[in-house]
Amino acid sequence: MDHRIFYAVGDFVANLLIGLVAGTVAWAIVSPAWNMWVAMFAMMALGMVLGLVLYVPVGIKLGAMEAMIPAMYTGMWAGMVVGMMSAMMEMPMHHAMEMGAACGIAEIIFIWIANTILRGVTRQPEAG
Amino acid sequence: MADTITQAKWDKLAPRFDGMAAKGAEKRWKPFKEALFDHMDGKILFLALGTGLDIPSFPKGKDITAIDISPKMIEQARDRVAAYEGTLHAEVMDVHDMPYAAGSFDQIYTSCTFCSVPDPVKGLKALHRVLKPGGRLFMFEHTGSRHYPFRQMMDFMTLLTAKIGPDMNRNTVDNVRAAGFEITEVNNIFLDIVKTIKAAKAV
Repeated sequence: MDHRIFYAVGDFVANLLIGLVAGTVAWAIVSPAWNMWVAMFAMMALGMVLGLVLYVPVGIKLGAMEAMIPAMYTGMWAGMVVGMMSAMMEMPMHHAMEMGAACGIAEIIFIWIANTILRGVTRQPEAG
Repeated sequence: MADTITQAKWDKLAPRFDGMAAKGAEKRWKPFKEALFDHMDGKILFLALGTGLDIPSFPKGKDITAIDISPKMIEQARDRVAAYEGTLHAEVMDVHDMPYAAGSFDQIYTSCTFCSVPDPVKGLKALHRVLKPGGRLFMFEHTGSRHYPFRQMMDFMTLLTAKIGPDMNRNTVDNVRAAGFEITEVNNIFLDIVKTIKAAKAV
């Protein structure tokens, strides 16, 4: 997590909203008539592209890699999960929105944990 | 002879580069860049000045030669160059064709540069040549990742970005070492993707 409160809160809210939007879009496109696997992979790809598009306005305030990478993963996961669920059963829109938002929150927490592990100084790096 | 394809790519981006890159990224990265640039000392080469977004982070009163392959970028940087309180010469130049004598500079700085230099090892070897023995290289760069799932994402993003701008999956630390530098420190700022690299030329 970025220790500056603006970026910590901004990253959290941005990913929540990107997940919500990607989940809603996946819900609007996929119906129970879809094959679950097709829905899952198609919405995963669409969600990632959507994440990249939504990164553009978010990045103006929150930066480059720190905003773009979580946005793309959030879009991917929210699209995949909601697309898969929508292919399996009828569900109300607010459930899709909640599920997408939850994917966004889970994703940014994963990024924060990964960042805590990877960041910092190394004197004899292997590569990168 | 200058790489005209790379030059044309960055000339095209120059008028809207600040809007694309300045607002979010520069604010977020500013404290890390300032900490890196605080090491500035002696005769300095700054590679890939762009529109001069990094200039406000330079410490005052330094002797800096800044180069960029794109004349349009240098044109955009004009006001920031003029505002710098120190000696700052900006020149249009390809890193692969620098006319400077070997060992001309005490320090070299780069900032989000080696994601875009077409032949990074050749470019870094050119920097190695113009750096004095014992001189130091300071880099602020974004690179590829060594770790799943970030490595795969950076590879995918490079498919989208390579034609219009930077590569997202470069192994810059390896490239610095391959060019003959000794790595002294790598500081990962975001994951293992955004980082500062400190290296030295052997005495």
